[in-house]
Amino acid sequence: MSKRCDAKRRDHRLNRRELLSGAVAAAVAGFPFVSRAQMKPIRIGMPTIQSGRAAMVGASSRNGCSMEIEKFNAAGGLGGRMVELVARDTKGKPEEAARLSRELVNSDGCEILFDAESSAGAFAIHEVAKDLGVLVMHMNSETSSLTADPKLRIPNAFRAARQGIHDSIAAGSYAGKIAKAKGLKKWLSCSPDYAYGRDSTQLFLEYLKHFQPDVEVVGEAWPKLYQPDYTDALTKILQIKPQAMYSCLWGGDLTAFIDQSAIYNLFAQMEVFTINVADYTILTAVKNLPKGIHSGNRYLSTFPKTEANAKWAAEYRAKFNEFPINWSWENATGAKFVLEGLKKAGSTEAKKLSDAIRGMKIESPFGADGTLTMRAEDQTLVNYATGWGQTIPTEPFMPEVTPVDWQVIYELETAWKKKNNYI
Amino acid sequence: MDLPALANCVTSLSCIVTQSTSGLIIGMLLFLVAAGVSLIFGVLKVINFAHGSFYMLGAYLVLTVYGLSDSFLLAVIAAALGVAVFGLLFERLIISRVYGSQVLMQLLVCYGVILILDDLVKIIWGPEFKSLGMPAAFQKPPYLLGGGVVPVYYLFLILLTLLIAVALGLAITRTRLGKIVRAVAINPGMVSALGINTGYVYAGVFMLGGLLAGLAGALAAPVRSIVSGMGLSVVVESFIVTVIGGMGSVAGALVGSLLIGLVRSFGTIGFPLFTEGLMFLLMAVVLVLKPSGLFGREG
Amino acid sequence: MRTSSMRRDCLIALIVFAALAALPMLWPSRGVSDFVIRLAAFGIFATSLNMLVGYAGLESFGHGLFFGLGAYSFALAMQRLGTSIPTALLLTVLLSAAVAGIVGAICVRLKEIYFAFLTLAFQMLLHSLIIAWTPLTGGDQGLTGGVPRPAFLGIRLDAPYHLYLFSAGLLLLCLLLMRHIVQSPFGYTLRLIRDNPARATSLGINVWAMRLAAFVIAGAFGSLGGVVMSLFVSGAFPDFAYWTISGEAIFMIMLGGTTLFLGPVAGAVMLLLLNDVVTKLTEHYGLVLGLIILLFALGLRKGLADYLAELWRERSARRLAVPLPAAPFAEPSNKLSGE
Repeated sequence: MSKRCDAKRRDHRLNRRELLSGAVAAAVAGFPFVSRAQMKPIRIGMPTIQSGRAAMVGASSRNGCSMEIEKFNAAGGLGGRMVELVARDTKGKPEEAARLSRELVNSDGCEILFDAESSAGAFAIHEVAKDLGVLVMHMNSETSSLTADPKLRIPNAFRAARQGIHDSIAAGSYAGKIAKAKGLKKWLSCSPDYAYGRDSTQLFLEYLKHFQPDVEVVGEAWPKLYQPDYTDALTKILQIKPQAMYSCLWGGDLTAFIDQSAIYNLFAQMEVFTINVADYTILTAVKNLPKGIHSGNRYLSTFPKTEANAKWAAEYRAKFNEFPINWSWENATGAKFVLEGLKKAGSTEAKKLSDAIRGMKIESPFGADGTLTMRAEDQTLVNYATGWGQTIPTEPFMPEVTPVDWQVIYELETAWKKKNNYI
Repeated sequence: MDLPALANCVTSLSCIVTQSTSGLIIGMLLFLVAAGVSLIFGVLKVINFAHGSFYMLGAYLVLTVYGLSDSFLLAVIAAALGVAVFGLLFERLIISRVYGSQVLMQLLVCYGVILILDDLVKIIWGPEFKSLGMPAAFQKPPYLLGGGVVPVYYLFLILLTLLIAVALGLAITRTRLGKIVRAVAINPGMVSALGINTGYVYAGVFMLGGLLAGLAGALAAPVRSIVSGMGLSVVVESFIVTVIGGMGSVAGALVGSLLIGLVRSFGTIGFPLFTEGLMFLLMAVVLVLKPSGLFGREG
Repeated sequence: MRTSSMRRDCLIALIVFAALAALPMLWPSRGVSDFVIRLAAFGIFATSLNMLVGYAGLESFGHGLFFGLGAYSFALAMQRLGTSIPTALLLTVLLSAAVAGIVGAICVRLKEIYFAFLTLAFQMLLHSLIIAWTPLTGGDQGLTGGVPRPAFLGIRLDAPYHLYLFSAGLLLLCLLLMRHIVQSPFGYTLRLIRDNPARATSLGINVWAMRLAAFVIAGAFGSLGGVVMSLFVSGAFPDFAYWTISGEAIFMIMLGGTTLFLGPVAGAVMLLLLNDVVTKLTEHYGLVLGLIILLFALGLRKGLADYLAELWRERSARRLAVPLPAAPFAEPSNKLSGE
């Protein structure tokens, strides 16, 4: 009993000593003595996936954000208040994402949410942001309806990720040109059977036909997400013998698919268009990357071919000992918007911060012209660098990238929104 | 649903060859995993829910050993033996404590092990998915049989697994050891009264199950992506196979795996969006009509 | 004897409800109310599963079928049909009971492990259906857009305190009802069937019908767990019908205990607390939680509540220096078929 009292007394003495030395230091330094309450850190809650098959999402998301936050803190934070990132593992479960978001805000003093979950989790977290009124920046969800659908829109939710509709228009426009040039009439799709796979494929085929009407879809394969064995899909594809194939498989699935396709010599028999190859997760994982796969960029340190982009990639690599990937740049972007918003609004209050971020334009190595904009009307990212090219098996993996014209994207996106009664 | 495509396929020789080989490929790897599950249940009356983790370990071990030695053969053997040892430890230290407990308690224990292993491989090897790449020996263009396409590596897999299936079947039915194992499955008390240490038999069967699953993981590695949690994808299918084939029967596991493989490969053509549902439907039908499975013993 | 114990249970429930109602005033933390709401969802679900596992001896792997069905049918009823909440609740329970009747009729004929796998097959069939029927269910993204909550009887479920009270109240009500059922002659018949089906048959009991009734009741209550969860996340996700949710309920009743009535609720508290605390403290969730689970499963080898109850009995028997009386709740039989 007495030992505990002694310890308590000791603690008190230490506290007083700390306070005194702090005051002395402050007086010596000549700065005004700032109260501890004002120095309270700005905590940002980040529910993300840190285990299981999509654990890479969490790792790369955190890395992307933390690089930006460190720079912000090094420059003094927000009037001396440092930003602190609190990341928690949702294990990929949407109900856990909902629970964690609420806990981070209600019990752990987080004033802002960085949603680094996947698309299903994003909807769950979106509901929490609606309920609690905190600002949420969706970092990874590419589901267009999250921001395009006015029924889901709330003033305090933003998206810093690429969008399915943009990617599909870009893909369709590039593939249409190639189809015309090489006479690719018979097309087949092989995409994962879930919302992202189905929406992305359907939109791609629509825009392919828009840019090159003389195409025919001769077959479709729908392997399950995380399915390890693509043999049945591959043999089906070989039966049908299309001239070109589209796939939006990603991550480990795409790696396995490429490995398995290669042993059937599939890439020699048709042109392959995939949205997701040009990402370092794939490019560095696949041991024998075939030449000539058409792909849109997810993240490449050589596109845009600017010093700023190369520098960011080198910094990331040096710090985390791995290549930056798609989620890395998306999270860095989302973090930057919020941090710039904090500076502009001077406050963490949701309405002030949202008003500051809405319509904001920032300088960024990932912009198509060096800038990125958080479009005001639907609170989503536009003008990010997006382009297509063909692969080679060694670095830089995609030497020539044809950038896509954003005016074309805007035009067709507006038509798509009208068609879906979003505007 | 795409029934015309299915009808087309069934009437074309090249399609039949390609899809059947595809079914064989899917089935044979599944067999290696399911055989272990089936044996373990047949002899120990334990449903090894953690079997998928054995498979995952096999894949990671082959990755590491292949990276160090550049010999696929060595890597596969090392992986299989490594997981066999793990199976032994798992049985002796963990599972043996819950023999006779409720099935649900065994499920809980296996869940704990799965959680630990999934996290451990992430800590040791990292969260990103890895790829082994096709070993140089198999980097050849595929064979053409009857108009259908058969990759070299898959042919090797099919033949090797068939060999193992035959060896396993013979070992169980013809050797003395096999007789002991079968006797323990039927009446462990009697076998123990005859002076044979049933504990050794239990451990041995678990080791064999581990060996088979580790081998499956290692052999699948060149054509899979290796990541934490990859065991999930095989364990559900291997249970479906075990149920359909009959628990405790290696022949049942073989037939069940081939059946599932063929359902998958032809199902992808006829029912592209409902292939998984098809497998559960098949499982339900078997359970309703003959619960003990195609080759299982009644009672 | 029975009515007085029922009255006692009702009194306890009222006291607990009053305490829970007062809690947010004394400890104003939304984290605590969120915990109670989730506890309500899983407490109802796990206890309903235990009606099958502990009381009827039917080890189901597919009970999540009803959790998912409950969540989706309630959320869909509110979103699409625009009904009032009590109507949606009634529709959900009726639908789940009907599905349980059909599924149960096929499943309860089978013996132990086959019964388990068949229930799992049915659950996964529902899951495949949810994933495939995108226009109705939203597919793998789940039901987006939130669950409308019109006021009823002065209760506004969009107000956090009301939702908290509603969940707590629903939990206690379901527990009372399920308690009443297991303490009734029906409940004792179930236990007889669990322990000695041959004897039950020889006494003229229709074993199949009794088991089916238990399955239907468990399914109906299980769906209410799903309803609370759908209110908590304001939607429904295919996760709710995946085999992992059945696993979670199984782990709760294993950790808490299958013999004591409140064992599953204790297990729900344990698993939820463990989940929340471990997620908060470490990145290595799997490692830590897995080790703790192994500690419980291999160390205690029975649920915590059961373990403590046994300890209590042994201690009181020792104190009175009397021989240990026969346990008032018999151990569930756990033989696997095939032996």
